[in-house]
Amino acid sequence: MIGILKSMATTMKHALDGNTFTVEYPEEEPEVSPRFRGVHKFSQERCIWCRQCENVCPNNTIQIVTDDQRNGEQYNLHIGQCIYCRLCEEVCPVDAIILTQNFEWTADTKDEFALDKEQLKNVPWYKDIDPLEAREPDRGVWIGEGEGEVDYQ
Amino acid sequence: MAPIAPIAAPLQSAPLPETIAELLGLDPNQPAVMFVLAFLAAGAIVSVLMGMTAVLGIWGKRKITAAFTDRIAVNRHGPFGLLIIPADAVRLLSKELIVPEGVDRPAWDLAPLVIASSALLGFAVIPFGNGIQIADPETGLAFVFATASIASLGLLMAGYASNNKYSFMGGLRAVAQNLAYEIPLVLTGASVVLFTGSLQMSEIVAAQNEALLTLGGVAIPSWFVFINPFAFVLFMVANLAEVGRNPFDIPEAPTEIVAGYQTEYSSVYFVLIYLGEFIHIFLGGAIVATLFLGGPSGPVLPGFVWFFAKMIAVYLFTQWARSAVPRLRIDQLIQIGWKGMLVLSFANLVLTAVIVGVIQSA
Amino acid sequence: MSLEEPEPDDGVIEAAEEVGVTTEGLDYDALAELVGDRLLDREDHVNAEGFVIRPDDVQDVLFDLRDEAGFDYLSCVTAQEYDDRYESIYHLKKYDEPTHELSVVVPSTKDDPRNQSANAVYRTADWHEREAFDLVGIEYDDHPDMRRILLPETWQGHPLSQDFSGEEPQIVTLREHANPLQEDHRGDDADTMFVNIGPHHPATHGVLHLKTVLDGEQVADVEPDIGYLHRCEEQMCQQGTYRHQIMPYPDRWDYISAGILNEWAYARAAEDLADIEVPEYAQVIRTMSAELCRIAAHLLALGTFALDVYGDFTAIFMYAVQDREVVQNILEDLTGQRLMFNYLRLGGVAWDIPEPRDEFFEKVRDMLDDMPEKLTEYHNLITSNEIFQLRCVDTGVLPPEEAKSYGATGPVARGSGIDFDLRRDDPYGYYDELDWDVVTEDGCDNYSRLLVRMQEVEQSARIIEQCVDLLEDWPEDEREIQANVPRTLRPDPDTEVYRAVEAAKGELGIYMRSDGTDKPARFKIRSPCFSNLQTLPVMSEGEYVPDMIASLGSLDIVLGEVDR
Repeated sequence: MIGILKSMATTMKHALDGNTFTVEYPEEEPEVSPRFRGVHKFSQERCIWCRQCENVCPNNTIQIVTDDQRNGEQYNLHIGQCIYCRLCEEVCPVDAIILTQNFEWTADTKDEFALDKEQLKNVPWYKDIDPLEAREPDRGVWIGEGEGEVDYQ
Repeated sequence: MAPIAPIAAPLQSAPLPETIAELLGLDPNQPAVMFVLAFLAAGAIVSVLMGMTAVLGIWGKRKITAAFTDRIAVNRHGPFGLLIIPADAVRLLSKELIVPEGVDRPAWDLAPLVIASSALLGFAVIPFGNGIQIADPETGLAFVFATASIASLGLLMAGYASNNKYSFMGGLRAVAQNLAYEIPLVLTGASVVLFTGSLQMSEIVAAQNEALLTLGGVAIPSWFVFINPFAFVLFMVANLAEVGRNPFDIPEAPTEIVAGYQTEYSSVYFVLIYLGEFIHIFLGGAIVATLFLGGPSGPVLPGFVWFFAKMIAVYLFTQWARSAVPRLRIDQLIQIGWKGMLVLSFANLVLTAVIVGVIQSA
Repeated sequence: MSLEEPEPDDGVIEAAEEVGVTTEGLDYDALAELVGDRLLDREDHVNAEGFVIRPDDVQDVLFDLRDEAGFDYLSCVTAQEYDDRYESIYHLKKYDEPTHELSVVVPSTKDDPRNQSANAVYRTADWHEREAFDLVGIEYDDHPDMRRILLPETWQGHPLSQDFSGEEPQIVTLREHANPLQEDHRGDDADTMFVNIGPHHPATHGVLHLKTVLDGEQVADVEPDIGYLHRCEEQMCQQGTYRHQIMPYPDRWDYISAGILNEWAYARAAEDLADIEVPEYAQVIRTMSAELCRIAAHLLALGTFALDVYGDFTAIFMYAVQDREVVQNILEDLTGQRLMFNYLRLGGVAWDIPEPRDEFFEKVRDMLDDMPEKLTEYHNLITSNEIFQLRCVDTGVLPPEEAKSYGATGPVARGSGIDFDLRRDDPYGYYDELDWDVVTEDGCDNYSRLLVRMQEVEQSARIIEQCVDLLEDWPEDEREIQANVPRTLRPDPDTEVYRAVEAAKGELGIYMRSDGTDKPARFKIRSPCFSNLQTLPVMSEGEYVPDMIASLGSLDIVLGEVDR
């Protein structure tokens, strides 16, 4: 009997001490680490269309279309199909694609998750956590001359 | 249903229909009038109970479970999340009633009604205090036990008629469990009757009203929980088994047989079974309060407030047990019922008889 | 290496009767002599030698190897197809000495691929050979139950064989398939009831189908039917490059936050295949993150086991998930994700400890400080509860001999008293430089498996603490996180390797064969839950249904790993 009473006492202690573990989202912001891998952001100016990201993607989520002069025309990324492994960011030689912490992305149909160049350029940063400091420190090339504002050219 | 003369405390007065009749100036001896008034009184009590079930079953259960698990539960709809109650009610009632193929039709439909109504029937003789009691027969306690155990029939009907192996297993387990724990329950209740000398519910409550002893200015009433705590513990355990709560929730063990006897019920039937389960818990709480906790007695606040508080306290206890106690396997449960509890309740009965005999001869 | 290593280093005492055991390791010539003239050829794999034998000699050779050379553990049965033949490879190991490995290679002809089943020698071969038949197409003679296991029984073709086009129609008409609306019929033995537990069920830890025959409340027979989560991960990995593309996939085998342990299995096998050496700093980080994953996985196992035994409203599950959240937050800071980490790379890890380092170490230390108190709470809630003991002691009994024959590893084996842990016996990472113990219990029942898991959480906490101390003091210019690995990795052709690590559920092994390209030619995953699940009928026959559910919970299977 003592064991049962000990168990019951333990749960009652939890009930009475009033600590809750709940994060009341969306009023409270959940803690997201700077390294969190969320939706991608793409910079057309930086991209050299080398297709490394397309090659390395494990499930062929990135689709690049270039014309015969190797000028980039389309860069499509299906954020619903993506597994957020970050290999594209890792192999990109010019840091043209980066994963933000943004996990708040909704759409009505699955096809709306296939983002093209424009949409990928406009993906917002999540709150004000700077994702770049968590990566190798020399990626300060992303920060432009503004007041800590990311100058996305 | 002649009105009884009040015995000791002002808590005892006429049953409710008589009171209403006197208030309205009608003649309490006309059967037709009394019939209608009894209906009205029953309707009032049932509404209050249903309301309590709705609040505690939908909102209260979530809040209590959340407290035990370090969470904040419903807090979005309305103040403190109370608007979840109508939301949930509408949601449950608006679901599709799926009738599986091959169910045994009249039995399957009647089972939820039997489960819910057997508990409500038991409330007919419970003394809530301040004269709120629908009827007060001389065999009130036996009536309560009898009606509460009709629910086993309902569980069996649900289990068998559902044409589903899980329900079948759940129904059989439920019957085995109810049979095993009914006898200790009644025997322990009988030991209380030995103290009071009467099966009438109002008399049982009245017999607990005198002060047992006075400690530093506070009079401890002679509730049977203080006189015979052993019987109280036995009764609580047997009550847990009767209502099917941890550690005895094997009839509807969700992780083994999905939902046991409830598996095939949806929409209204599910609501009836769900409510019925809660009303059984409240009925168990009401019996415990009447038999051991002095019914509606308590300082300052009116009687029925104390009575409801005691019912809710027993309900909280079942939720607490649910969060911390594992469930017993069916054969262990039956063994404890027939070998452990039965022997203990007989011992309790004999002991009580001896004590009563000694006190009376002294 | 544990300070309580039972055998001295030159363990000749018990192994004196075993053929081929010397103080320097395994003497393959002596073993070749044992096999005698049944030996057709000897191959050289990276982990061990391979003895090629005839398809009809399988049982004889394996009996000899088991009884006289002491190979009591069949860890993996790999089937593959070459251009000119089929092959089944039986990887043999010893429970007492897992570094003694031997691969028995059985070739068979292209037009009639079959060989003798090893089921008579090792019971674990039952399901492994069924899987080989299912995916590759080799048939096994004398097998008690030669049916498909992962794919539906009406599937056409064998996916991992070379002539699988994927064009065969797989939608089977009702005429060929059993009628699902068929009336229930009574068999001749009308006293038993057949119940399908799962695949939709609150307790089956995923989509698992248990075909149970009940006699009243007792289980007369239970047959697990798996394959509902089969994604053919092996083929997916065979289509990805070694260097980058395979690494996200191991996270998805045991997906209950044991990702880094799975990734380490792949990393260890690929690094041995391509002969890459991992810097020491990276090894320490790998060890620390792997043990964090182990804690998270065991906490969830504890929570779901409590759900099975305590009922749905138990507070223990929520407490376990809360405690696991803390660990997941730390892993998120380190790797970037909470469940699918993709953190290890061939040659090291992807990232160093996040800056500022002190904050991270403080977080980890806080978590470790809270751990003993939480474990005491769990002991109060679970192990000292009398009703729990009534339910779990002496139920789900798995005798150690059966466990060995079925190839059970991990907490399942250690709960039956078998002292087998790859972190100590076949060391990798930084485990042999740290001070920790292997936990075993002798009870062989559900209770002891649970105790093993709870105590392993303590041991993991010890390891993490030592790693954090090391990492904090590591000189700044020696913090190498990745070795210099070329961007495209092409291992030498025709090299085969089988390597295993101690994952959260047991021995997770990977067999890889390279053919000179940058993608593996054969990638076989030896999953611990697959072998552990096979012991369920042994544990639960004759017991009650609630005990079977509790045994299933104590086996702690993850369907992603069982089905891959």
